Amino acid sequence: MNPQDELLAVLDRVVAQAEPGEGVEAFGVDETETNVRAWGGEVESLSSARTRGVGVRVLRDGRMGYAYTAVLEESALTQALADARRNAAVAGPDDANALPEARAAAPLPEVAVDGFEDVPAARKVALALELEAAVRAVGGEVKGVDTAAYADAVTTAAIASTTGVRQAYRRTDATIFAEVLAERDGATTSAYGLDMRRHPDALDVAAVAAEGVERATRLLGGRKPASAKIAVVLDPFATASLLGVIAGALTAEAVQKGRSLFAGRVGERVGSERVTLVDDGRLIAGPAASPWDGEGVPSGRTALIEGGVLRGFLHNTYTACKDGVASTGNASRAGFMSPPGLAPTNLFLEPGELSAEELFAQAGTAFYCQQIMGVHSGANAVSGDISVGAAGLMIRDGAFAEPVREATIGGTIPGLLDGLVAVGRDLRFLPFGGGMGGALLLIDGLTLAGS
Amino acid sequence: MSELTLDDADVRAVLQAALSTGGDFAEIYAEDKVSRALRLDDGRVEDVISGLDRGAGIRVIQGRRTAYAYTNVLTRAALVDAAKAAAAGLPGEAGTQVADLTDRRPPLEHPPARDPLAVDQHGLVAIVQRAEEAARAVGPEVRQVTIMYSDVRQSVFLANSEGHRSTEQRVRTRLVGQAVAARGDVIQTGFEGPGASQGHELFDTHSPERIGRLAAERAVTMLDSRPAPSGEFTVVLAPGSGGVLFHEACGHGMEADIVAKGASVYAGKRGQKLGTALLTGVDDATVPGGWGSFGFDDEGTPAQRTVLFEQGVCTDYMSDRLRAAELGIARSGNARRQGYANLPIPRMTNSYILPGADDPAEILRSVKRGVWCESLGGGQVDPASGDFVFGIAVAHWVENGELAYPIRGANLVGDGPTVLARIDALGTDFDIRQGVCGKDGQNVPAGLGNPTVRIDRITIGGTA
Repeated sequence: MNPQDELLAVLDRVVAQAEPGEGVEAFGVDETETNVRAWGGEVESLSSARTRGVGVRVLRDGRMGYAYTAVLEESALTQALADARRNAAVAGPDDANALPEARAAAPLPEVAVDGFEDVPAARKVALALELEAAVRAVGGEVKGVDTAAYADAVTTAAIASTTGVRQAYRRTDATIFAEVLAERDGATTSAYGLDMRRHPDALDVAAVAAEGVERATRLLGGRKPASAKIAVVLDPFATASLLGVIAGALTAEAVQKGRSLFAGRVGERVGSERVTLVDDGRLIAGPAASPWDGEGVPSGRTALIEGGVLRGFLHNTYTACKDGVASTGNASRAGFMSPPGLAPTNLFLEPGELSAEELFAQAGTAFYCQQIMGVHSGANAVSGDISVGAAGLMIRDGAFAEPVREATIGGTIPGLLDGLVAVGRDLRFLPFGGGMGGALLLIDGLTLAGS
Repeated sequence: MSELTLDDADVRAVLQAALSTGGDFAEIYAEDKVSRALRLDDGRVEDVISGLDRGAGIRVIQGRRTAYAYTNVLTRAALVDAAKAAAAGLPGEAGTQVADLTDRRPPLEHPPARDPLAVDQHGLVAIVQRAEEAARAVGPEVRQVTIMYSDVRQSVFLANSEGHRSTEQRVRTRLVGQAVAARGDVIQTGFEGPGASQGHELFDTHSPERIGRLAAERAVTMLDSRPAPSGEFTVVLAPGSGGVLFHEACGHGMEADIVAKGASVYAGKRGQKLGTALLTGVDDATVPGGWGSFGFDDEGTPAQRTVLFEQGVCTDYMSDRLRAAELGIARSGNARRQGYANLPIPRMTNSYILPGADDPAEILRSVKRGVWCESLGGGQVDPASGDFVFGIAVAHWVENGELAYPIRGANLVGDGPTVLARIDALGTDFDIRQGVCGKDGQNVPAGLGNPTVRIDRITIGGTA
């Protein structure tokens, strides 16, 4: 039996124990992972593992309970079902609690590459070693890496329920990343290079090393900037981390709980006409691609903001029931231990036409924000306030000038969306909070604070 | 449920298999974790979750090389398979023998006085409801209240090829209150979330009512806030609020793995005076009931107290077995892991700035113009440069030694060594907070603590 059928068979046994009048959903994960870290020309660590687990939801009289187990023996599965029932008994009843009706998801075979299991461990080790060596070979102000790593996962996910949901898929992921350290006059800078693919053969070691080296070295000699209202160019990494915060305010959960500044504004202008924000769970280029979401609802494409106008919010089955709409397929799972939540999949701003050079030229003088720090505390999806730490470089006359450190960028989410002047043409997904689409953004109306 | 333990013969077989390719040290870490969580949101009990996680990780070390494998099947056959998988990461021949296993007792234990598992789900619902009622009672501006209860009982079995064998139970309980207050267009949030290596005796000192009320009061206070200014100011950190800054900006750089790679601003600085002579900072895994306390660390070294900075001088790094050997220092008992799926790495336990000799009230009075910070939000630090950023959750503008008005949207920005040098007063008071620290993808509970701290000058990034 293949791993997908094997896992479905386990889930079937749980669902078959449902009592009359109750809904039961079982979600299972079976994952094989390898992690390699290299340092100083040697393998620092090599880790391999297989983890399996099942999470069970029970719905009874409008009450939902959850339990999980990493032990897949019959008795442990029965115990998990009993625990989920007991948990449901104390949960508050809610008419919007529901297990989704079965809707067949179109397969998405591109998320897995066949033959992944045949990649020898030695090949994975070599990728980490080559990456570390490539950074070290640069020499000079480049001190080496803090971390050079290869990581992969072959994941089988399956779901079955009393409402007829029954499906499974397989996914493969391979990533290399390096955190590069550079030093000048006793001050150290660090930056990431990163590549994510479906198979190790597609990973580009030289490009990752070069990216980390360029990003770390160009920050050398950074000083605090003068405080100013100034145009800001957000680097793809910075864009990706800020999108995560904006996304938090665009879930229906945030809206229903009064925690979104976008509540009640569907159909209104919430940003400049450049702002088209899309969530697409079936986009193969995105790290969060999957045929169905954490409840087995088919993944899809949702335009949240189009030409600056708010079109809607992200939904899972619960929030959709509450609003009387259809789920957008955004139920999220952080593994088998978590009940379905609500999160973006691959979220991105529709790219524009400008190359980096053209965007810089349009900016003229600006702060190029390469790193954002403290985004989770410093950007508030309820109040809309943004105040985050930043490092980067000044852009003068359309080109990189002096580096900047210990700066903060202040403003508001509405101000940022209103002030979006241009989106670069190159889109690159990064693994921040699902999959956030990084692009170059040119924004007016933010404050840069330093000394 | 009894303590998790594995049969001696099984353990020997697993360790022997792990050493079959030339490893000079092998270890098995088995864990059984029973967790419960419950959330009261908007008056409704939701996300009632319970679960069992169980598994074992097998680690083999050869020189500086580590191989690791884990499984969540705890049969002898599955464990030996995992040991062989780990051993396959090393290319050599068996040499090291497994020593006779001897039981070690943890030097201190943190047994719960009132076992959380004695309280069933209905009892937990009553606890979160008490917290919610108290939050609602704060005023009509309180619009949303979320109360989250969680407990975990972790049983750890640890054995290694040097003959160590131990079992330990760790029980932790936490109750978190979050409130949203609104007036007109202004929306603000408040938080209070105590936790401890304790059972329900936690609620003797932190009643559910107090937790709900404090979260709501903080949200309501911030409704009157004005946008924070930007620039360099004197900042006073209230007791408990500055521990996260010490943790992020000073603690991480004192972790031996970061030091060993030269990626820390504190690397090579032992014995040097970096901070003001007022400053003594420790990491202490032995604090009774401390959020980050334990008996043995996650590779069997007894819990201890490590002085990181003594009167401003950089003293000891926090180390695990591997990095202690690499740096030629003693093991400090700071090896921690999120669970059986993770390699142990040097981590903080409870990192505290110790109290000083100054009257806290006098410290506030000494500030002409500045910021009094009651609670910081999350922070982030680049250990290489020491640069950090912290959100300020609750703060007041200070004029002539008095709190003038609350301010919002502010960040503290700076770097660790500079802040250490600019601390110019430490209060006689002290308080703690609890955090969840993330590093290399692993989350562990971390205790935080500080007295009233005055920082002469630091950058505030505001929105005004």
